[in-house]
Amino acid sequence: MSDFTTGRPRRLVVAALAASMLGWAANVRSQEAAPAGDAVDGKRVYLADGCFECHGRVGQGGAFLGPAPAIARTPLPYDAFKQQLREPTNNMPAYAEVMLPDKAVVDIYAYLQSLPGPREAKDLPAILIH
Amino acid sequence: MSQDNRSPSVRRRSFLKGAAIAGAAAVAPPLPARGQPRAPRAAANPMPPNLAVETIPPPKDPVTQTSSGGDFMVDVLKSLDFDYITINPASSFRGLQEAIINYGRNTTPELITCTHEEIAASMAQGYAKMEGKPLGVLAHGTVGLQHAAMALYNAFCDKVPVYVMIGNILAAEKRGPLVEWAHSAQDPAAMVRDFLKWDDQPASLQHFAESAVRAYKLAMTPPMAPVLLSLDAELQENPLQEREQLQIPKLPRTTMPQGEAAALSEAAKLLAEAEFPVLIADRMARTQAGMDRLVELAEALQCAVIDQGGRTNFPSRHPLNQTGRARSVLAQADVVVGLELNDYWGALHAFSDRIVRRAAPVTRAGVKTVSIGTHDLFTKANYQEFERFEDVDLAISGDGEASLPALIEAVKRQANGERRPAYEARGKKLAAAHAAMLEQLRIDAAAGWDASPITMGRLCAELWEQIRQEDWSLVGNGIGIFWPQRLWAGEKRYRFNGNSGGFGVGYNAPGALGAALANRKHGRLSVAIQGDGDLMFAPGTLWTAAHHRIPILYVMHNNRAYHQELMYVQDMAGRHMRGVENAHIGTTLRDPYIDFASVAKGFGVYAEGPIADPKELGPALKRAIAVVKRGQPALLDTIVEPR
Repeated sequence: MSDFTTGRPRRLVVAALAASMLGWAANVRSQEAAPAGDAVDGKRVYLADGCFECHGRVGQGGAFLGPAPAIARTPLPYDAFKQQLREPTNNMPAYAEVMLPDKAVVDIYAYLQSLPGPREAKDLPAILIH
Repeated sequence: MSQDNRSPSVRRRSFLKGAAIAGAAAVAPPLPARGQPRAPRAAANPMPPNLAVETIPPPKDPVTQTSSGGDFMVDVLKSLDFDYITINPASSFRGLQEAIINYGRNTTPELITCTHEEIAASMAQGYAKMEGKPLGVLAHGTVGLQHAAMALYNAFCDKVPVYVMIGNILAAEKRGPLVEWAHSAQDPAAMVRDFLKWDDQPASLQHFAESAVRAYKLAMTPPMAPVLLSLDAELQENPLQEREQLQIPKLPRTTMPQGEAAALSEAAKLLAEAEFPVLIADRMARTQAGMDRLVELAEALQCAVIDQGGRTNFPSRHPLNQTGRARSVLAQADVVVGLELNDYWGALHAFSDRIVRRAAPVTRAGVKTVSIGTHDLFTKANYQEFERFEDVDLAISGDGEASLPALIEAVKRQANGERRPAYEARGKKLAAAHAAMLEQLRIDAAAGWDASPITMGRLCAELWEQIRQEDWSLVGNGIGIFWPQRLWAGEKRYRFNGNSGGFGVGYNAPGALGAALANRKHGRLSVAIQGDGDLMFAPGTLWTAAHHRIPILYVMHNNRAYHQELMYVQDMAGRHMRGVENAHIGTTLRDPYIDFASVAKGFGVYAEGPIADPKELGPALKRAIAVVKRGQPALLDTIVEPR
């Protein structure tokens, strides 16, 4: 039986990124390109520090006080993603920099962007058509 | 629970095994007082035979009898058509238990042995929702009822009839020393009266008969709720006198309270004239007819329906089912009708759980709101399950299901031909939105399809694949995973069986088993999605399933945590900027992991697991369902994502 925890101290969590953020983010006019992050380390942090508790290990989405949206290949620009962590607009906890350094945010973002995005309807597993 | 330091021989359960101890106490040497040293057993020096005690003639008191008050109680219970009584055995109702077994031949009612009173009461809740009538619960008057208390609260919140009988010894001089005093009470129902509809402590058998029928009638009249009878031990045990003088009242044929006709007509006018009416139902459909009528109403209006799932109110695949996009449709609504909503305010507001707690309406200004339900007909003050006050425009007191026919007729009168094209156009838009929602849901379910641990989307898709051609019934869905109600085609009332009602953890496993007990005679395939934390409250449920051959498949939602609470602690740690590294303390079920397959096997239940590879899930489900279809319980320990 595999151990799904790393046994490492949890330093941060990235919890419910609200679906409502998507609309807000689309209106963000000034977006800097995402800094280059380390997706491998981002995965480590994402799993070790409990982001998956609400959003799932592969960013497939989950729930906390309502739906926690899928964030694999999040369409949020990096700045909006970081803003949501620092000053969330909904029930998602706030993650101050003392808990979650900018470097960790960058790496997590890179990990999320490295994940497969949603499948096309034509590519769904057969048992999902019923 | 406090530590019991008494001799094992006088603890409650052990006491039952040696009922003669009370009588023997009169001639036995006294027990040492608590805290006093006891002589080691090996060094005990038996007292010499007390010849005087052993040779004196016994008193002339009778030692046998040919009938008991319990026999009459069984006659009463049979008149109420109880199929089952769930029990954890206890001395205070030994008279009635023996009468059920021998006088009543343990049929209608049949005793269902439970390993905890919380299991007994939760089974009753799940059973009543599924079968539409209560079963009985027999519990010890003090400690047993204390165990049952949380389950009764759940049932009260869930508006479910649970029929509880407890034992008590009223006359002080009739109580044996020690246990019988500790397990007697002046008013044993007091501790649960806040969440009972009615209770009584009959002083005679005739009184019992009348109160038993009254209790049943009250429990089954909406708003339904638990009731309790406290039964004096002597009334149960002593010889039955003048049986022919005792009368068992007939159970009246009762009608459900219906909303006032003029008010329903007013509601119908609002609905018919609305641009975008929305129906919300929670604990509404008591029967299949209730579900069918809600479909009829929605189709007459071609309006959106939100099914909150306290009962199965509306087919999950119906094009007008907009449950998955509730916020969106409520934002458009100009008229909302709530049917048996317990939390109307919560349905119409967003609430943020932050340092400053704020609420905001999700509906537009000027929306007209109507409630139809029985909540205002009966409520209590102490516990706050009635939720925040919603200032609806029109509150119609009446049973939701019973009020639907009149509402439908009034709507059909109002919905004239001129409005029909607008209705049809509205319905087409809603149908398209429903189809898009289902398509998106399937795409969402495919995310992380091959990941391990198994995603909830994958687990629910695999389970649906195995049961969709059976007459299935999802009897438990502990934390309200949304996939089944949205992804599966649930077109009958018994497809889903609601929730705990009061959010008291520990309901799901026994509540599901109670529903499976009801499903057994109908030949339905009972399936439960079972949380690990919930099962640990009452794992003995599995033994009852095995012992009574109740077919049910438990599919574990084993996330190895009290996960909602883990997220709460993470939330607090984030708020306080202290890091979340300690959030697992007190919230997780690790070190060691619980091997639920071994636990289940230990109770005599077929089990497999842990299963963390999603590719193994389908074959394992096939094997387990084959066991269930042979009439046995089964459990699959599946290791899944937290949510």
